[in-house]
Amino acid sequence: MVRHDVVVVGAGLAGMRAAIEASRYGVDVGVVSKLHPTRSHSGAAEGGINAALGNAGEDDPQKHTFFTVKGSDYLGDQDAIAVMCEEGPGDIYELEHMGAIFSRTDDGRIAQRPFGAGGAPRTCYAADITGHVLLHVLYEQLVKSGVTVYEEWFALDLVTDGERCVGVTAWDLVRGGVQGVEASAVIMATGGLGRMYRGTTNAYACTGDGMSMAWRAGVPLKDMEFMQFHPTTLKSNGVLITEGARGEGGYLRNSEGDRFMFNYAPNAGELASRDVVSRSEQTEIDEGRGVDGCVLLDLTHLGAKRINERLHGSRELAMDYAGVDPIEEPIPVRPGSHYHMGGIDTDVWGHTLMPGLYAAGECACVSVHGANRLGGNSLLETVVFGRRTGAAAAQDVRRNGSGGVFSPSAAAIAERSIGRMLDTNDGERPHVLRQELADAMYDNAGIFRSAEGLEACKAKVEELRERYDRGVVVQDKGRDFNTDLIQAIELGSMLEMADCLVTGAIARTESRGAHSRLDYPERDDEAWLRHTLAFYDEGQVRLDYRPVTITEYEPAVRSY
Amino acid sequence: MKSSYAYYPGCLASLSQKELDTSTRAIADKLGMTLVDIPGFTCCGAGDVHEARPEYYLHLNARILGQAEQLGQDTLMTICNVCTLNLRQANAKLQADPELLRRVNRNLKEVGAASYSGGVDVRHLLWEIAEGDGYEKLKQIAEKPLTGIKIAPFYGCQILRPSRLLGFEDPDRPQSLERIIEACGAEPVDYPSKIKCCGFPIVLARAEVALGELIQPLAEAKEAGADAMVTPCPLCHLSLDAWQGKASREADMEFDLPIFHLAQLVGAAAGLSYDELQFKRHVVKAYPVTDKIYQGV
Amino acid sequence: MQVTLKIERYNPEADESRQETFSVDVVEEATLLDVLDVIKDEVDGSLTYRKSCRMAVCGSCGMRMDGAAVLACKTPMRPVVEAGEVPVISPMGNLPVLKDLVVDMEPFWAKFRAIKPYLDDGGEEPPVKEWRVQQEELDRVMTEALCIQCGCCVSECNSMEADPDFLGPAALAKAARFVNDVRDRGGKSRLEIYNGPHGVWDCTRCYFCNQRCPKGVHPRDAIAKVGAAIYQEGMHSDGGARHAKVFVKSTHQTGYLLETHLVPETVGPVNAIKEIPFALRLARAGKVPNPLKPHKAKKLDEVRKLNKLIESQEQATLEAANAGPTRPPADPAQSKESE
Repeated sequence: MVRHDVVVVGAGLAGMRAAIEASRYGVDVGVVSKLHPTRSHSGAAEGGINAALGNAGEDDPQKHTFFTVKGSDYLGDQDAIAVMCEEGPGDIYELEHMGAIFSRTDDGRIAQRPFGAGGAPRTCYAADITGHVLLHVLYEQLVKSGVTVYEEWFALDLVTDGERCVGVTAWDLVRGGVQGVEASAVIMATGGLGRMYRGTTNAYACTGDGMSMAWRAGVPLKDMEFMQFHPTTLKSNGVLITEGARGEGGYLRNSEGDRFMFNYAPNAGELASRDVVSRSEQTEIDEGRGVDGCVLLDLTHLGAKRINERLHGSRELAMDYAGVDPIEEPIPVRPGSHYHMGGIDTDVWGHTLMPGLYAAGECACVSVHGANRLGGNSLLETVVFGRRTGAAAAQDVRRNGSGGVFSPSAAAIAERSIGRMLDTNDGERPHVLRQELADAMYDNAGIFRSAEGLEACKAKVEELRERYDRGVVVQDKGRDFNTDLIQAIELGSMLEMADCLVTGAIARTESRGAHSRLDYPERDDEAWLRHTLAFYDEGQVRLDYRPVTITEYEPAVRSY
Repeated sequence: MKSSYAYYPGCLASLSQKELDTSTRAIADKLGMTLVDIPGFTCCGAGDVHEARPEYYLHLNARILGQAEQLGQDTLMTICNVCTLNLRQANAKLQADPELLRRVNRNLKEVGAASYSGGVDVRHLLWEIAEGDGYEKLKQIAEKPLTGIKIAPFYGCQILRPSRLLGFEDPDRPQSLERIIEACGAEPVDYPSKIKCCGFPIVLARAEVALGELIQPLAEAKEAGADAMVTPCPLCHLSLDAWQGKASREADMEFDLPIFHLAQLVGAAAGLSYDELQFKRHVVKAYPVTDKIYQGV
Repeated sequence: MQVTLKIERYNPEADESRQETFSVDVVEEATLLDVLDVIKDEVDGSLTYRKSCRMAVCGSCGMRMDGAAVLACKTPMRPVVEAGEVPVISPMGNLPVLKDLVVDMEPFWAKFRAIKPYLDDGGEEPPVKEWRVQQEELDRVMTEALCIQCGCCVSECNSMEADPDFLGPAALAKAARFVNDVRDRGGKSRLEIYNGPHGVWDCTRCYFCNQRCPKGVHPRDAIAKVGAAIYQEGMHSDGGARHAKVFVKSTHQTGYLLETHLVPETVGPVNAIKEIPFALRLARAGKVPNPLKPHKAKKLDEVRKLNKLIESQEQATLEAANAGPTRPPADPAQSKESE
């Protein structure tokens, strides 16, 4: 049993930023993470982080706000978006002062480049390894802060006392055994859930555990049906090739050599928003103008020097995982599940509806991305809202003192549940269900959806949930470093979150942002300009809705 | 194999490891290699100048390469691992960056030294006789095969790694020394640490750490039944030979392993005498093995 | 294609080690990590290893293949299969084994923490906006910044094998990242951390780290950069630095290494005296050159002039680096001194 004022679950960019901020308020902070912090998926981000610095031309936060609102297909909460865009520059400067190695302009300022649907060059970058650079600079600051980190502790459940969140239970992967982690404030920062799809850019660790924990504790999840598909992922293993490749001037070509994007987005071309590009690519592929199920990302005209300086990481990835040197040949790419716009419902300070529980980063939904996220805004979200949430949690603790009562039996209950899993010898292996889920989601809850496909998907998810509940077999019966157990638990999270996602998708009879319904191809603001809320109702998904906050920009036609 | 080389013996072969220089010249003669001395050559800077004064290291080596070029040679031959890596690394940098080469040459000109245009390749003797016509020539001159002698090869780090600068053979599974040992009629002995470090760079500043390293190849070669060891690097030779006593005390094990320079191994197989190859300059007496070679004892 | 692996397993609960052979069918593009996943899913769920990103950026999956550390996710299996090989997969070296292919990374992270792994701003108020830094200045740390802390370099470090307390290539590469960051004001006090008994001078220069690094960090080169900084700041207290000084002085005086000076200058006069029996043994073999008549290179004046010329250029570079980062013009937080 351990105790801290603020406990952050997850140690990616949002989690670490929250922990660092909270520690600045003089409260005692602990971080629980199933991975060592620098292994977090934030490190895979490549292209950049947006902020209206104005280093590449005139810019201001209002423009950034507008393009984000438009990019969100008007589902984003405009007050939250304005906060993010206004505070963004300050957060970028702070990262730089911490030592982040941003690429520079000729006069030594932070360089910015164009990114999808941004309208202006606003994306700050560190070559094409921005996520890696930021992740490491925050880890350095986390080490400097002296905050306690419980590495390779897998958070299992939220512990509540009926009124508020009082901590979590966690499985200590290294030593084996359930630990109680008591806290006055818990910040969930556990990232996304891309692994429920076949063909994802996401790491193995992205399984929606934190969202699942919050949901099961009664906290609603918002806009779960909105899953972004990144246009340029590699066929062999879903690895991401940064949007920055297009930002540097790369082209997308079909089998006929045409830059087809100008047929779909006459102004923005390759730099239209991601949902538009992904749909366009998929259409080209479906209509027979693909090459082996892919389109071609052509960087050959950029030249070796530019590629080696700005896109060195992408070149390495293309050579390692697609067997192609982008200096010489185009890279075959196709859309892959990438970023989850939905998540734990929060306000602009990271508060959820449950006192004592906060959330930030990809696992949260403020909402700043609405129905579709702009490239470069996710990294921004993690630091802006990571900071705000850390501050809010710390200030709440200082104001209100310690929280409720952490039940002494919470850990024991979790132990028994783990024990049951380990004792199951009759049943299916988790990977069987995992594969069926991934195929069903890719086939029916992917880029193009329809009632028929979604209903089939829902049925499949429900079937898988039943099969899971009957018991899956964990072959590793040991308590030391049992990753077989962890993978089985992660499967449970993914099944629950898939249910929330698909249920929301079935209900939303319109197309908006990344949610594209072949049977409802138009956006329907009258009926659907609202957020979906998914509640836990005795194991099932119960939907409700909440209006979108519109301040400046009335929903308009969205074209690129 | 080239008909002539700019010959770069390095500091140790010129002084404390003089037997290496003597043996090299003797076998070059037999192999038909013309070794052209570089009159104004200096130390390559070893790992120390390379680390502490990288700019100075670069210029020292550019000057050496420039001198080789001035002699009309397109290949410089080394007989030391450290010299090889140092010269090849400097060479690679200068050849890849015309702006850098221009700047270095400006400095060289200022002090009256010859400039370098990037036209010299640096090769270790080991590479010249491990394959191709050099290997054929080696087989030809090995008239006195070292039958029944078991030799454990010790490569030394800087003839293998980093392989992108050296690149002669697979750094994890090298075979050049084994081939040469076989060509000389002896039996190569395999053991795990043949590609690990002898510790020489820190044998003075971190004696304990260096001995901890040095013990491994000596003990493993001994346990694998080696009569002697051979190495292409005079620094490794100094470690394995001159420091063998200390390693022995540290490990509480008798090694009694004579250490051959590569050129001595080739020289012995080519019929050169104990004195011609200056075996008496070794700290660990070579005669338990050389007696077998020269007297068939 | 079919892949066969021999895996060195370790079960901590039974304290039992054994080697197990697995053969599975995988796709042509499969990496070592993919093969392990298939084994874990379909054959033996207790096979334990770390993984996350599968794209060589998170650093989780370091392990040895035939004794050489690699990232499993970056190791294609087709060449291995085509060569008809059955590789032995084992955990990384120089770190305690927890289970199967999982090592205890805590000693690794402890060394990371020990090198002051964060920017030292010297307590100075930063500008409102960003420090003005040239791309070329940041390029000086970009190579070390590529490091994903995977441990492949540490796995085969020969020095660390003989001295487990050696800070090691990963920690020292991280150190270089700050030493050469123009925004870091750590100066000599930072360098002192790397100048201790288990710091840069412990490195044996085996270059295994450069050879193994999957990201092109070249840790040995980074260690050299830190060594250069320590040396050029005149911090010559360690025998390692004095050893380097002998080389520099020697080449200046004679053009060659004055071997006889190495021992007393490096180990100090007292220890040198202890080494007299050793020196005598070497002398008997003729290995001690005459200290009174040093061998001198021809055209020595070229070398001496070169040394002085480069030294002055190095001084200029050092001064520029120590000047610190540039504030933007008209920055409200500008210090009075720069007015």
